[in-house]
Amino acid sequence: MGADHSDTQPLREQIAQNQHTIDRLNRELARRSNEVRIIQQISQEITSTLDLDEVLGIVLLAMERVLGFAHSMILLTDASAERLRLAASRGYEPSGVGAEVAFGDGVIGVVASRRKMMRVGNLGASVAYLRGVRARLEAAGQMTGGGESAVLPGLRDAQSQLALPLLVKDRLVGVLVVESARPTAFDELDEILLGIVGNQAATAIDNARTYRMVESLSRLKRFFSPQLAEAIVTGGADDPLKTHRREVTVVFLDLRGFTAFAGSADPEEVMGVLREYHAEMGKLILEHEGTLERFTGDGMMIFFNDPVQVDDPAERAVRMAVAMRDQVTTLIGRWRKRGHDLGLGVGIAQGYATIGAIGFEGRWDYGAIGNVTNLAARLCGEAQPGQILLSARVASEVEALVETEDMGALTLKGFARSIPAFNLLRLK
Amino acid sequence: MIPDRVAEVLSGPAIMLAGTRDAALRGAHTTVVGAIVHDDRRTVTFFVPESRAARLLSDLRDNGRVAFGFGSLSHEAYQLKGTYLSSRPTTDADLAQQEAYRTKLVAAFRQVYPEEIARPLALGYAYHPAVAVTFRVDEVFLQTPGPGAGTRMA
Amino acid sequence: MATLPEEIKAAMQGVIPSHVVTCARDGTPNATAISQVYWVDPEHVALSHQFFNKTVRNVRENPRALAWLINPQTFDAWDLEIEFDHAETSGPIFDALDMQIEAIASLVGLKGVFKLKSADIYRVISVTKNVAERIPLPDIVEPGGER
Repeated sequence: MGADHSDTQPLREQIAQNQHTIDRLNRELARRSNEVRIIQQISQEITSTLDLDEVLGIVLLAMERVLGFAHSMILLTDASAERLRLAASRGYEPSGVGAEVAFGDGVIGVVASRRKMMRVGNLGASVAYLRGVRARLEAAGQMTGGGESAVLPGLRDAQSQLALPLLVKDRLVGVLVVESARPTAFDELDEILLGIVGNQAATAIDNARTYRMVESLSRLKRFFSPQLAEAIVTGGADDPLKTHRREVTVVFLDLRGFTAFAGSADPEEVMGVLREYHAEMGKLILEHEGTLERFTGDGMMIFFNDPVQVDDPAERAVRMAVAMRDQVTTLIGRWRKRGHDLGLGVGIAQGYATIGAIGFEGRWDYGAIGNVTNLAARLCGEAQPGQILLSARVASEVEALVETEDMGALTLKGFARSIPAFNLLRLK
Repeated sequence: MIPDRVAEVLSGPAIMLAGTRDAALRGAHTTVVGAIVHDDRRTVTFFVPESRAARLLSDLRDNGRVAFGFGSLSHEAYQLKGTYLSSRPTTDADLAQQEAYRTKLVAAFRQVYPEEIARPLALGYAYHPAVAVTFRVDEVFLQTPGPGAGTRMA
Repeated sequence: MATLPEEIKAAMQGVIPSHVVTCARDGTPNATAISQVYWVDPEHVALSHQFFNKTVRNVRENPRALAWLINPQTFDAWDLEIEFDHAETSGPIFDALDMQIEAIASLVGLKGVFKLKSADIYRVISVTKNVAERIPLPDIVEPGGER
């Protein structure tokens, strides 16, 4: 420690400083050439796929292999745009996929709400400090404004975090996060590199997500109205294909005399009639926001209250059935002129059904199963041309709306007791 | 003068610092590597490395004002403000005191820092040669972050 | 005025607390620890102001202060003579500090309770580095007598 070389001390210090600067510049240069390589590598891979999982995987792999970050994750905004969901991670056991983070919670949540990159290297110290403050506030009875501590996915003992908002134009797609159990693990150069990758990733992820949505949308549009399909895809409604139980109002309808007609008429004529019939019925289903669960030639099953819940499923069902009867009456007139004798029969029932995806890989259908569907089908079978038969439950639900005639108790196949049924005459 | 709890925290392990100012009211900081509360509960002696003591002693001789802050690793902190009395070189007894103190400190550091920080940080907390500075305590303040920080206690 | 060297950034990440000494106009010094001194640019640093305290009060009547920082890897210590310039309650520096505080506060359930009042900007007057000394002392005695 003693300094006898006081005259050369400043010079030696200067040399040491210079060397320090030279070392630093060399490191920067090496990292900058790396940057170019990184951009090329990643952009090639990312733009070669529209599969969301693949894109996420490529980005996280690059985090580790190219940038040396052992723990990384990508969270994506959900439809509400107030929350993020962990979509993919690397270096975590368990993966944490599916975990949610609200905007404003932790580094991840604040980066999302402020749309600015953030780097911290002292999480342990900061959290310990603020915990102490909280304890003091609690002891002084001043903790009225605070609340629950946010729980976030990631390393339990994370000391350093670097999080980047993934932005496309000014829309937030998600957040890219890297973590370390070491304090001050990330520096400004890491911020720059992450920023470069992040910008590429944001666009690729957005494209892949849009592609996935469009795919889902066209798949779902087979079963649901466009508005509903969109609501499901953007996350506004629950995933309807997940099995669940719900009380639904079920409408079964079919064309009386269709079998005979199909047997005797030209195939082109049969297709023509069906097309007209489906078009008109389809319009009415969409108008009343019913869910077409299946149609088999002339028969259709529609239900209300799933996947989107409504206040008045029975009323909607009944209004739709009446509108359908009116519409088919017009069609029947047209068909009769062409020599075809057809009529519409409708059965409506209400009750619990188990609903979800039925089928197998490559051929999934959205199906409902329960007594209620059988009842509606049997009532439909009993209905004469022009009749709309309601179960007792439905009749009582729509009492104020319709005029009915009591059909007494019917014996229906598959039902031990006879079932009271009511014929819907007209809307009041 | 010095409440029991404050004396307890001061006996360690705690991070300590001394603040002084020169004739032009410019502040100076000196690392403190240990302290003792005397039985009268009115005077405190703290140790500073001799290599860092020049400015401190110059300020104390100029105006005698000293602010002595310290806090436990859980951020329970206090500040003593007072008037310089005397200084002397540390003795072997003082050094033994510092070493015992440092042992407590490394254990406390290990609770909050990874080993690569805890040990080297604690290593710097015993100096020889050092200067023992004694001052009279005029005011005691609560310094723990949060409500009440800055409140005078004595 | 002096400029901050790049290498001091390592001591400005809030891993080991920094110390700040200020002086009131009546000549009473104040010595306190703070969690972090923030880099603004090579000629300025910022201190975060959450609760009104003696440090804040002192520099507004006597702007000179001393900030002591320590590098958590090399244990080099720095004495920065700084002078309070102005307080910011908006803008990029305030936002950066505010973001950090918001993030950590939410982790301990202090969202909205612990807030940044201002980012206090100081000019750097002088920078002195104290290289970590290797003290030729007996090593730390661990419990159990091991060295």
